[in-house]
Amino acid sequence: MKPLLNIENLSINYMTNKKDFNIVKDVNIKIDERMKYGIVGESGSGKSLTSLAIMNLLPEVLKIQEGSIELNTDSTKDLANISKKEMRKVRGREISMIFQEPMTALDPLYTIEYQLLEVLKIHKTYSKKEMYKIGVDMLKKVGIARPDQVMKDYPHQLSGGMRQRVMIAMALICQPKLLIADEPTTALDVTIQAQILDLMNELSDLHNTAILMITHDLGVILETCERVAVMYAGQIVEESTVEKIFEEPAHPYTKGLLSSIRSLGNKSEELYSIPGNVPTPDQYQELGCRFATRCPYAMDQCFNQEPLMYQVQDDHLSKCWLHVEEGRANERSSERTRS
Amino acid sequence: MYAYIIRRLLMLVPVLFGVSVVIFFTLRIIPGDVAQTILGTDATKESLAQLRKDFGLDRPVIEQYITWMSGVLMGDFGESMTTGREVLPDILNRFKITFELTILSAILSWIIAIPLGVIAGIKRNTKTDFTVRIVSLLGVSIPNFALATVLILILALTFSYSPPVGYVGFFEDPIRNLQIMLLPSIVLGTAMAGAVMRMTRSSILEILRQDFIRTIRAKGAKERLVIFNHALRNAMIPILTIIGMQIGVLLGGTVIIEQIFSLPGLGQLVLTSINQRDFTVIQGAILFIAFVFVLVNLLVDILYSYLDPRITYK
Repeated sequence: MKPLLNIENLSINYMTNKKDFNIVKDVNIKIDERMKYGIVGESGSGKSLTSLAIMNLLPEVLKIQEGSIELNTDSTKDLANISKKEMRKVRGREISMIFQEPMTALDPLYTIEYQLLEVLKIHKTYSKKEMYKIGVDMLKKVGIARPDQVMKDYPHQLSGGMRQRVMIAMALICQPKLLIADEPTTALDVTIQAQILDLMNELSDLHNTAILMITHDLGVILETCERVAVMYAGQIVEESTVEKIFEEPAHPYTKGLLSSIRSLGNKSEELYSIPGNVPTPDQYQELGCRFATRCPYAMDQCFNQEPLMYQVQDDHLSKCWLHVEEGRANERSSERTRS
Repeated sequence: MYAYIIRRLLMLVPVLFGVSVVIFFTLRIIPGDVAQTILGTDATKESLAQLRKDFGLDRPVIEQYITWMSGVLMGDFGESMTTGREVLPDILNRFKITFELTILSAILSWIIAIPLGVIAGIKRNTKTDFTVRIVSLLGVSIPNFALATVLILILALTFSYSPPVGYVGFFEDPIRNLQIMLLPSIVLGTAMAGAVMRMTRSSILEILRQDFIRTIRAKGAKERLVIFNHALRNAMIPILTIIGMQIGVLLGGTVIIEQIFSLPGLGQLVLTSINQRDFTVIQGAILFIAFVFVLVNLLVDILYSYLDPRITYK
């Protein structure tokens, strides 16, 4: 069966009259129906841009340079190459999106009712009464206690958690196949974060909606996702199931990320941090690995030649020269034992 | 809301009191004399003194103020020192013309400025945008009188047009009235449009960068809906501020334009009465202008809360 969303070799460039440089490079992601997929990375790693590219909402200066974004619902569409009109039918109906800042993601001048039902008005033809009922039901589903009151409220009258619930209701009201959540809990209190994640999980199971979770927080990934792609400097450096990534991380960057999480066990030790900073797109190396400058295992080769995605084990990819070296070493040792 | 309006109206009292004091005493300080204007340079000292006495100008200034103010509080603004006519009806008559001129210019400017500003904002840094920006810059920077003169000249030379003389009220003869008012309205509207256009453009640009615009696009909304239902409405608040200020100023009379097009508006009344040192008319007119200005501001504030639910007055 075809995956619901199949991103192949996606590259995004920053393009103005004067400048043209690559930002996101060779992103490959497959999301099956009902799958919960995570992209994790620091800010500036290109994870949000990837999600905006899916929605065709990239800022004007950013262009899809290469690759395809295939969406398989009733029909097959390439979102990297689609008319504006067709794309409008996808947005909100087949793919919808939740953003990081619930405080600014709602129009301050309109009631929740207007903004919630706006999606329905755009895509469906219900009577006013039916729409209102669907809206109230949806608010109930996202755990809002007095939906009739909240329908009349304006965004500034609601708390951050409530607004994010409204955003989720808005995103799921047309029962999309895919929900993109771009840092949905980052701006919320820790206590609310867990509630919102649970809610998203629950509703996506209920509506058979796949989730693409964009986050910098490995905890969020662990809690919600089945598969995860680790992004660094515009590239996916490691991709596998959540278990494999957390238990047997292969890429030095992923290892670094995981060791910089504080756990209760290592309280006394100093927290590990990856040396250096994330490079900005104009600092990306033409040749070689983009992580090489910060990598504790960097070899000469890492600065001269870009590593390929290497299959470390079944269903586990990592973009690093070390694996090739290890592979050779293994080959050599097995040869020696044979001889 | 109503309590707020009443409180704002009560604030008129100190404002108008302040204005009345300033204008009253400034007039007494500046040189010049109404008696001299009326009687001419040949008048004898005795007749001048007699006329001043008739106007009460020989009495202490404080006393004059109290007499005038108690009249105003009773709704009696006194009589013009030069024409002898009652001041308030005169002001209101002139105000009708100024009011019509203001409203016409405002409407003309909005029709042009708001759509062009929106287009420039959407098509930022394109040829359209640059053209709109240059036009609006011209609108702001060309002086009214220059534009008025040039317009009259062009019309006169090409269509042998001559500015109509004598004012006709809108309800007496709408067509003739519009013939008279249209040209001055275009001139005033051009200047207003320039400022409104610039504000609309920058305000739209600001709003289009907001997160909620992305949310609406992510819903699958058409650009038309994004721009008109969401971006423009959010952008209206700073635009409203500018519009309110412009209207407030224009309602106080536009001296030069009224002169050029010989419109007997409020500005002309103030100008002639200042030239003649007609104290009662100046005082009355200034007080009235201040009153209108405060009312326009109140109206703008009320409109804010209508536009933006976050703004509430208690």
